[in-house]
This record gives sequence, C-alpha cells and structure tokens, in this order.
Amino acid sequence: MQQDKYSDTLSKLENEELENISPGAEIYQQLMAIYLYQNKLANAKLLWMRISNNLKEQNKELAQLNLLNLALQHNSYADFFKHIKYDWSETNKLIIDDLLVKQREELLNLTATAYVSIYEENLMEMAQLTSDELKNACLDWTREQDGDKQILLPKVKEITPRIASDDQLLKLTEFVSFLEN
Amino acid sequence: MGSALENYVNQVRTLSAAGSYRELADELPESLSLLVRNWSILDNVLETLDMQQHTLGVLYVLLGKLHSAATANPEPVQIIQLMREFVQRSNVEQLRFAVCPFYETCHLFTDFLVQKNLSILGIKVLSRAIEQIRQMDTQLTPIHADLCQLSLKAKNFNLILPYLDTDITDISTVAAECKNQQQQQPQHTLDANNDAKYFLLYYYYGGMIFTAIKNYERALYFFEVCITTPAMAMSHIMLEAYKKFLMVSLIVEGKISYIPKNAQVIGRFMKPLANYYHDLVNVYENSSSEELRIIILKYSEAFTRDNNMGLAKQVATSLYKRNIQRLTKTFLTLSLSDVASRVQLPSAVEAERYILNMIKSGEIFASINQKDGMVLFKDDPEQYNLPDMFLNVQTNITQVLDLVKQINKMEEEIILNPMYVKKALGSQDEDLASQHPKTYSGDPTD
Repeated sequence: MQQDKYSDTLSKLENEELENISPGAEIYQQLMAIYLYQNKLANAKLLWMRISNNLKEQNKELAQLNLLNLALQHNSYADFFKHIKYDWSETNKLIIDDLLVKQREELLNLTATAYVSIYEENLMEMAQLTSDELKNACLDWTREQDGDKQILLPKVKEITPRIASDDQLLKLTEFVSFLEN
Repeated sequence: MGSALENYVNQVRTLSAAGSYRELADELPESLSLLVRNWSILDNVLETLDMQQHTLGVLYVLLGKLHSAATANPEPVQIIQLMREFVQRSNVEQLRFAVCPFYETCHLFTDFLVQKNLSILGIKVLSRAIEQIRQMDTQLTPIHADLCQLSLKAKNFNLILPYLDTDITDISTVAAECKNQQQQQPQHTLDANNDAKYFLLYYYYGGMIFTAIKNYERALYFFEVCITTPAMAMSHIMLEAYKKFLMVSLIVEGKISYIPKNAQVIGRFMKPLANYYHDLVNVYENSSSEELRIIILKYSEAFTRDNNMGLAKQVATSLYKRNIQRLTKTFLTLSLSDVASRVQLPSAVEAERYILNMIKSGEIFASINQKDGMVLFKDDPEQYNLPDMFLNVQTNITQVLDLVKQINKMEEEIILNPMYVKKALGSQDEDLASQHPKTYSGDPTD
C-alpha cells in the first residue's frame, strides 16, 4: 500500500461509507478526490457507480469530480486540466490542489520520457498552460524554431538512485554470509 | 403457542447455564419450524436471551427471523442492526457447535440484503462473521462467497480485497463440519450439496472483482481455479467462468491460457456451449483488429446477454496494444501514420495517443518525435542495478520460500494422516499379493 498524507483520512472515510445507509455528498466528494490523488482510478470509477442517481444530479461538485475522473481514465490531459479549473469547496480544495501539482509534474515527466521533440502548442494544449507558464515549468528544455512553430526538445530528468536502507544492507550481509558458508 | 416459545427459552437457558452446548445444538434444529411459525413474537424471545450467554438460542431466533422474512417483511435496518450486534457479541465457543446454521444464517442474510438493495451495509457484518468463525487466516468459508456477492452488488471492494489476496490452504465446508460434530441431521444434507456451489462462487465472484479493478493476472487465476475444479458434471457457474476465462486470457496472454489436462469437463461440456467465445479467440489470433471489431459486433447480442460486453471491448483495446507491442520487435523506427495503418487505427493522432498511454503504463519503451512524426522503439532500460529492483527480487524470493515451506508442511500432514498411510500400505500389499501368483504361474518349470 502506498502511504501518503491522505491514507488515514481515506480509511476513516471508507469506514464511514460502509456504516451509513445513505452517506452524504461530503463523504463521496472527499473519497473521490483522494482516490484521484492516489491514482486509484478503478476505485474512483466504482465509487461513481455506487453513488445514488439523485445525488449525482443535485451535487455539481461531485459531477465535476467525475469529469476529472473520466479525463484521467481516458488519459486525456487536456480535459483534465480544463475541468480542474473550478471553484472547489474548502474541504476539497487542498486535495485538488495537490492533485493538480502531481498531475502536472507527471505530465511533464511523461513528456520528457516519451517525446524526443514536441510542438509547444501541443504541449500547451495538453497541459492547459500559457506559453510563459510552460517556459517556467520546463526551464532546462531546449527550444528550436521549426518554421513558424516552436518545438521543444525535452530533457529527461536524472533519476536520483535511492540509497539502500539499513534493512536492505542487513539482508545483503545475510545473503553474503550464507554464500560464504 | 406462547407456551411452546416459553419452553424454547427455558430449554436454551437451562442447557446454556449447564454448559451442555452440544446437546443444545443437537436439539435446537427441531425448534426451528416453531420459531418460523411464530415470527410475530420473536422480538419478545430475543429480549429474554443474552447474545453472549445464549449465543446458540439467539442464532436460531435469527435464523427463524430470516426464514420468515418473506412473510414477515421486517424492517431491514432492524435485521442489520441485530446481525451487526450478533457478530460482535456472540460467543465463538458456542458458535463452534453450530457452524452450519451460522453459515445458513449468513447466506439468508445475504439474500435478504441483495433483495432489499442494501448490500453495502452487510459488508462489515459478514467480514466480522468470517473473522469470528474461521479457524485460521487462510481458511475459506462459505461466507466468503456471500461477502464477494455483497461487495460486487455494492461495488465496494475495499474490505474484500485483503481476503482475496490471501492464498487459501484450508476449506471449511458444511459436510466436514457435520462430520466433525457427528450430526446426522437431514436438513443439512441439502446444504452440504451446496459446498461446491459456494466454493465455485467464491472463485467466480473473486475473478469478477479482480477483472473490475483490472488486475487481470489474478482474475485469470481465480477463473482457472473455478473451471479446473474436479467435477463429473458441469456447473453453470463454471460455464460462465469459462467464458470470462477465455476473454481475460486473451487480454493477459493473447491466446487461451494453459489449462491443466485433468479438466475434462471443459472439453466435453463447456466448449460446445461457449462457441461465440471460441470464435472470438480464433479471430483474435489473426491479429486483425478490423475482423475482431466485426465479430464483436456480430455477437454483441450474445455478449450483452452474458453481461460480457464491457470485457469484449477491453479485448478489442488489448489487441491494438498487442499489435503495437509486436511492432516494437520488428522495427527500430516507424512513422506514426505507418503505425496507424499497420495496427488498423483510424489516424496517426490516435496511434500517438495509444503509444503515449502505453509508454505511461510501461507496456512499451519508445519515444515520439513530433518534428518528423516518427516513433523510436527502445529496449527495456531496466539495468537491474537499483535498490528498488533488489527489494523486488528480495520480496519475490521470500514469497517463494514461504510457499515451499507451506507445501512441505501440507505434505507432512498428508504423510502422517492415518487414512493415507493405510491406503498407501494397503495398495502396496495388494501389489505384493497380486505379484506372487503371477511369478509362480509365469514360471513354466514349476
């Protein structure tokens, strides 16, 4: 299980959902937002399926969250960043902000690994950023002029190798001593 | 009428106080019909009994209540509340004497909730019930299937997944429980026949749950267990599992996954009944997305009837992906429009979208060059030199070692089992006995 700052809230909410006959929209909203943040799209999809119909129609924010969910499921970044511009309520705002930061970073990382070159306008469309914002987001990428279009040559981020923990070292020593005997 | 129920209460109280639970468990089934008849005043009976002290008595009242649910039409909230309280407060030692009725109560409770469309409220109750009645963490009980059913109905898998992830080493069945307790009650024979049903259902529902969360490998395993269960006749649960098995194995492996030879039921009964699905497999193997699309359209009625249409669409998507993956083996670079035409996607933009998604999920390694519209296919960059990979290998090794230990333990149990020893020795004796006359009669000089 991946651990992050929302795990505790999540298990609390999941519990609440199981014990109430008709949980309020609040619970569903937060659950949905956290699932999206943790990239548990299957859970988010199922959550949407089990929300009662009239709640879906009445609660705008919930519907908006589902638009995000659909966009993520279809890997459609442009839609995602379009729909995330919304006046979120206080409780969800923090989670959504985190989600936005995370997804934007993910998109840029993905672009860096998946593209040798990409037209600036395409990336602007995908990330829903203005040219200047994009410039700030990826300062170290090389730019070239191709006709009248700007083309970006992304630079792959160096992965900083994780330093082996004590636990791993212990296992390795055990392994070596086993081999020696 | 009232006096009969009074008798019931008295009987429960005296025998429980005396601690003769075995006797009580043997006698209570006879009162069940009485309880069902008097459904209107069962609440009064409940008031006189204590869940902790008179667990068995309360259990039968609950059973009576659930049996009469069709006529009595009780308030669902009240039943749920009762069950919730019961699984929390009942005395496990007493329950052990009445495992079968307990299972039955859970089955009825499940049916009741499914009917009332309140499945989500039963998940916690049943999960608690499993915790209480199972003798070890790796034991499968008939309640597991109920929990799966409720989870599927409620579309909430948070609680069920930990159960599905444990490997089962022991199965608790009604037949075995009755044998343990030397009970010869006719009403349980019906339930004993259902042991296989609940076993199959658990694996069928489990497979469906894993398919829903797109853990296809695990889903394939669950369907495989379901269809390879030794059987003389085919169960319809197995047939449905077989259909899903075929589709999921296309998604995972691109062909029919290996089926152990001992499953004769498949060839004899299931194949003829799953024609559409075999056609699908054959077309899939031609790797033509266009043909696949046509055949899915052609059989869409059958797939919809089996509730497999969504899965069929997943199969179609997986073929595009598989074809792209195949391209990476042949080509180093390819233009996006070439990719689109080779895997029969409508446009280069669509192909780019597929490739981007596949790079994201780590299914292929490539980079796209938008400037000249080309894709560069690369090899897996994994160097196997990072601590993460080490950790990965380490956990896998531990898992395998644990598995070996488990198998050794189980083998030891079998070898030490008196029944097995007797049989093994017996067959050896027979061999010896049958060999002797042979050697003599086979010797012409004698």
